[in-house]
Amino acid sequence: MTGQSTGQSTRQSTWYSTWYSTWHSAWKEQPLSFKLSSIIVVLVLCFGVINPFISYDPVLDVELSRRDLAPSWEYWMGTDGQGRSVALRLFKGIEAFFFPGLIAGLFAAFVGGVLGALCGYFGGWIGRSLSAVLELIDTLPRMVFLVLICTIFPPSILLISIISSVLFIPSIATIIRRKVEALGAEDYILAHVAHGFHPLKIISYHILWLQCRALLTRQMIFVFSYVLFIETALSYLGDYGVQEPYPSWGNMVAQSRISAVAWPWALPALAIIITIAALLAFGDGIARREEEVKR
Amino acid sequence: MSEQTLVDVQDLVIEFDTPKGRVRVVDGVSFSVSPGEVLGILGESGSGKTMSTQAILGLIGGYPGVMGGQINLNDQGVTYELLKDLPSFISERRGQPEKNERAWRKHRYAQMKKLWGRAITSIFQNPRRSLDPLMTVGQQVKESIQARESHKDALERLNDQAQTEEALEWLAKVQMVDPARVYHSYPHELSGGMCQRAMIAVALACKPSILVADEPTTGLDATVRAQIVHLLQDLIKAEQCAMLYITHDIREMLYLADRVIVMRHGKVLEQVSANDLKEHALERHEYTQVLLDAAGMIGAHDE
Ligand SMILES: Nc1ncnc2c1ncn2[C@@H]1O[C@H](COP(=O)(O)OP(=O)(O)OP(=O)(O)O)[C@@H](O)[C@H]1O
Ligand SMILES: [Mg+2]
Repeated sequence: MTGQSTGQSTRQSTWYSTWYSTWHSAWKEQPLSFKLSSIIVVLVLCFGVINPFISYDPVLDVELSRRDLAPSWEYWMGTDGQGRSVALRLFKGIEAFFFPGLIAGLFAAFVGGVLGALCGYFGGWIGRSLSAVLELIDTLPRMVFLVLICTIFPPSILLISIISSVLFIPSIATIIRRKVEALGAEDYILAHVAHGFHPLKIISYHILWLQCRALLTRQMIFVFSYVLFIETALSYLGDYGVQEPYPSWGNMVAQSRISAVAWPWALPALAIIITIAALLAFGDGIARREEEVKR
Repeated sequence: MSEQTLVDVQDLVIEFDTPKGRVRVVDGVSFSVSPGEVLGILGESGSGKTMSTQAILGLIGGYPGVMGGQINLNDQGVTYELLKDLPSFISERRGQPEKNERAWRKHRYAQMKKLWGRAITSIFQNPRRSLDPLMTVGQQVKESIQARESHKDALERLNDQAQTEEALEWLAKVQMVDPARVYHSYPHELSGGMCQRAMIAVALACKPSILVADEPTTGLDATVRAQIVHLLQDLIKAEQCAMLYITHDIREMLYLADRVIVMRHGKVLEQVSANDLKEHALERHEYTQVLLDAAGMIGAHDE
């Protein structure tokens, strides 16, 4: 009995347990839209992670005798104009944006967070000149810049995702800088200083991790959905994105324009819209929940 | 400064630039605190109490901020002259003294990093805002223990288990009802009084030789105030810690303080022992009498 109670009290609250409790309380109190969106986000995550382990040969899948079939037990979402399974192609299409989006999101959140924290905490001329450079990048129209890069360099989705994450770094850094500046006047940050905590610990743990993680997660999700959007847009346009016969949600929409029936067109378009909407709603839900906890 | 003083402040001047020009919010304040002593600072709102103590804590980041005076802090026999080099950071510009705030901050950090937590620490007025809202109370107490241990040699440090146990002990020492539960609670799950107890635990777990308590009972209801004041009194004695206690409340002051300084408009009006304040109220400064009168305390002994 006593052993049990000390076991309880010495239990560490690790980063994943706080993350879990944040998410769990978000789950209980959030509206239906948040629940739906998080189910979709989890599905996309799972599909994205198992994608590389499932092999798919788009050439062998062509079978003209079964083109434009309606959904059935064998082909859940029917077949496209070349007799390929739409469900399987939708699933494999995730690979086109999943890892590039993930890398872009993580990179933008990490670099933006660190730069923003440095500008906000240290201020001075370093902070000011860094902010100026970041604001300059922020004024570039993102889409135009991306297309420009694609015409200069051989386009690849990795290049596109890295460029788009770089284009998001300034706005993330600015958000974090404002937050850090506001936090610098908070009593509890002053108290941490007065108690003799190391400044690096205060910046990295108390400010960036505890206070900004929800903001950063939300921005990360935003960059991810931007990469999804760019990838599908470029693949739809055809010249720069994923090329036939390899599947991408964008070129699936483009392909099915020449199909005789409606659903092969509707399905990838719906997938794009639902996924982006779910990602954004999920990010908002997490951020809102953390705001409420603070009050 | 004698060996017997812990903190010694001489002619402290603090100025701020406002849209209406330079204002002097602390104007030549001097006082000192001996080990184990409780010095009370009494004064109306805006009289510069917080600014004076934050200058000692090295927390004023405003511009131009601390502009003159001396602050000496004694830590384990070594005296740190905190404002000794201040004049070299001040230059004349358009007839006004200007301070190189960045360089000054860097310089101050180099001195204060040895003193924060160990020699001096603080509890603030609003207990809810001075606890980190996203960390459990237990974690916060443990963090101060960690910060304290990080000054020691690696071999002498407490291990993780011992730190957790000490954190629980601290929560018990501040008379938390259910320390094991409070350990895992977030500040928003606790009452204001409990938050202030937690904050006292966090500050004292640093084992400072002087604690600055800036109106720790303002905003709490009367019974809780009394509890917090008694608690502070007991813990300060037990830990042999000196205290700089700021309050508007004369009754609290008379109960806790050994000596009291009265401030108004950034100046120290008088410095008296708590006993004199009680026994010889009519011999006090005019303004002190106003304060005593407002608390209904004048005449009780002198008539
Ligand atoms: N950053 C600043 N810029 C300009 N003036 C300031 C600044 N900070 C404080 N002041 C002024 O300094 C004066 C003293 O403030 P201080 O906080 O020390 O008062 P206090 O005695 O602690 O009052 P209270 O009892 O309300 O806490 C106030 O008049 C305030 O307006
Ligand atoms: Mg004050």
